[in-house]
Amino acid sequence: MLLPVNSKCECGHQNAVGTVLCEACGKPLEEQLMKSNEPLEMRYDGVARRSQKANPDFLDKIWNFFSSVKIAIYLIIITFLGAMLGTIFPQASTFISATFNPKVYYSEQYGLAGEIYYFLGLHNTYSSWWFITLLVMIGTSLVICSIDRVLPLYRALNKQQIRKHHAFLKRQKATYSGQVTDEPVQWTKQYGEALKKKGYKVHIDESGTALLAEKNRFSRWGPYINHIGLILFLLAVLARSIPDWNVDTYVSITDGDTVPIVGTNYYVKSDGFSMELYDNDELPIELKDSGRVKTFKTDVVLYECAANCGDDFLQPELQEVKQHTILVNDPLRYKELKLHQFDFNLTPRINAVSPMIINKETGESYGPFHLTMVDPELYYEVGPYSMELIDKYMDFSINSEGEPITLSSSPNAPAFIFNIKGPNLAEDGEMFMYFPLEKDKVRFSQDTINRELANKLEIKVDGMENVDFSAATTYLNVRIDKAVKFLWIGAFFSMLGLIMGTYWQHRRIWLRIDDNQLTLGAHTNKNWFGLRADAAYALKRCGIELDPKSLDNGGHKG
Amino acid sequence: MGKNRKKVQIIVLLFAFVIGGYAIFQTFTNDTPGTIKEGQAVPDFRLANLQGEPISLQDYNGSPLVINFWGTFCEPCIREMPSFERQYEEWKDKGVEVVAINLSEDTLTVSNYVKKLGVTYTILRDVDRKTEKKYGLRSYPTTFFVNPNGTLSSVFVGEMKESQIHEHIEKIVGG
Repeated sequence: MLLPVNSKCECGHQNAVGTVLCEACGKPLEEQLMKSNEPLEMRYDGVARRSQKANPDFLDKIWNFFSSVKIAIYLIIITFLGAMLGTIFPQASTFISATFNPKVYYSEQYGLAGEIYYFLGLHNTYSSWWFITLLVMIGTSLVICSIDRVLPLYRALNKQQIRKHHAFLKRQKATYSGQVTDEPVQWTKQYGEALKKKGYKVHIDESGTALLAEKNRFSRWGPYINHIGLILFLLAVLARSIPDWNVDTYVSITDGDTVPIVGTNYYVKSDGFSMELYDNDELPIELKDSGRVKTFKTDVVLYECAANCGDDFLQPELQEVKQHTILVNDPLRYKELKLHQFDFNLTPRINAVSPMIINKETGESYGPFHLTMVDPELYYEVGPYSMELIDKYMDFSINSEGEPITLSSSPNAPAFIFNIKGPNLAEDGEMFMYFPLEKDKVRFSQDTINRELANKLEIKVDGMENVDFSAATTYLNVRIDKAVKFLWIGAFFSMLGLIMGTYWQHRRIWLRIDDNQLTLGAHTNKNWFGLRADAAYALKRCGIELDPKSLDNGGHKG
Repeated sequence: MGKNRKKVQIIVLLFAFVIGGYAIFQTFTNDTPGTIKEGQAVPDFRLANLQGEPISLQDYNGSPLVINFWGTFCEPCIREMPSFERQYEEWKDKGVEVVAINLSEDTLTVSNYVKKLGVTYTILRDVDRKTEKKYGLRSYPTTFFVNPNGTLSSVFVGEMKESQIHEHIEKIVGG
């Protein structure tokens, strides 16, 4: 674009560098543009963008880079292309296993392409430095483009000169020239009255022969409100990287347990997971006996830690804050915390048993006594017997060297070693190994281990009512997303701006009468049909009847 | 107007630089959440020892510290414990401390094992796997070598040979 050095208009107004149409009278300032007869480009009302300067310094150059809509469009296109790369293979963040190794996974699963994908860091596209940099640049561009355009536009629209240059009026895309037979001041007034009925705000200058009628100016702010919404949206997305703003983890809770949610101040207890299947009469014939799941649910109690929270030496003081039955798509919600049903495991876990001691020689039985799997009591007095717990194994096994070991810390195959004293037993007591689970008794041949003691006494659980076990383990997905409300606010403003700019149009009609010669020009951003109809309607009211189409000066789109 | 414009320019670009810079910086630090990087301070803890007394990370301020996570169900953990014991004996005059945090097992299990193994360094008891999770453990055994100022020197995942323990301790004593 040619920048005229002398930007002073013949009407006396001093325009800023880069102004296309005089800010006051609307006269085209460029020689070339003045000579042409094409309809005028009315974007931003022909005012200069804020940053247009004759001698830009370094800061101006950065500013001008971001102020360019062309650059903004390139940035958006590059971001779209980049975002597409992230959809070629699954992103690493979608794998939740602790042992997931992206380096191995991509090359094994996708071969060379996967290896390249991983090498280029595309397994983390959306949190990569270049993708975030693009987002930051788009955000900066949004802010700077908006500031550079909205402020001059606001000024231009806020103090519009009513009497416009002839060239300005005649080169609008809707224009009319003709003779006025009535007294010009009276005619102008009448024309204004007619437009007022159509909802226009009408301004007439002091001479009474120039008019500006304007409607729905607020729709011009739509794009900028939309941008504010988008900026909020982007900031909210970036805010997710602030520690604690975005938590996405998993907890596994066996029925009846209370577990801490690491990284928060919450504890959660499961009162039981259950899975319900459809009855056969609820299913179509083809699906009968197929075991279709109706509901997965977990009854949970949420606790907040009130004292001794960061301290694992003292017992935390828990305060119940919420109870909820979690279903799929019906998470527990408490403040920003959400717990979603994610998975389950129906392997039961034994918690405690209440066995009897039976004297095999006399047939008498004593007890029961309560034996927990975790942190059991060390001494028991049962009838005439006294028992000391010497050792225990949660998941009993024999290692390669023939020594007893535990394979895990879960009570999959619990084993207890007691030193038992009592009638007909050695004075220092005799060792007795006890497997609470029947299958382990056989597998590890309890009776063989206990030798002759096995003939003297037995420890036995009498019926399932004396076994305390958890039927299932539930897996919950823990979500905290503090940014989500800002996403919604951003989306709201973005939508508000779109609606303002889409469903309303800024319509302006200017006219001037010089010695009974009427010159009228009208401008809108869209729906020219409606604008021409408005202008023609008011002309008709003033005695000039014409087809609205005849106002068309060409060059518009719609 | 001209002056104002410069001010707006500086403020907007500064904001973009600070917020954008922070966001971009985060992408370099946040790639594996939950794991501690070398040079970062190791997470705090306060846990019971075998005598039931509280021991916290601050108690080791200023000492080179070895934090080993172990469980009786983890054979390699048990196998490496005698090596740690010998290394502890070798280095304790230089102020090196060894802390073995048990993976939330119960009292009887832990005390029986410690008795059997005869280790003299400090055994602590994690609760509900909280400390383990704070340290971002993925497999056992895992050993953290901590500088006297409380920052991480190195992590070793898997069973350690005595010579390896020696090398790692040398580094935290030297630094």
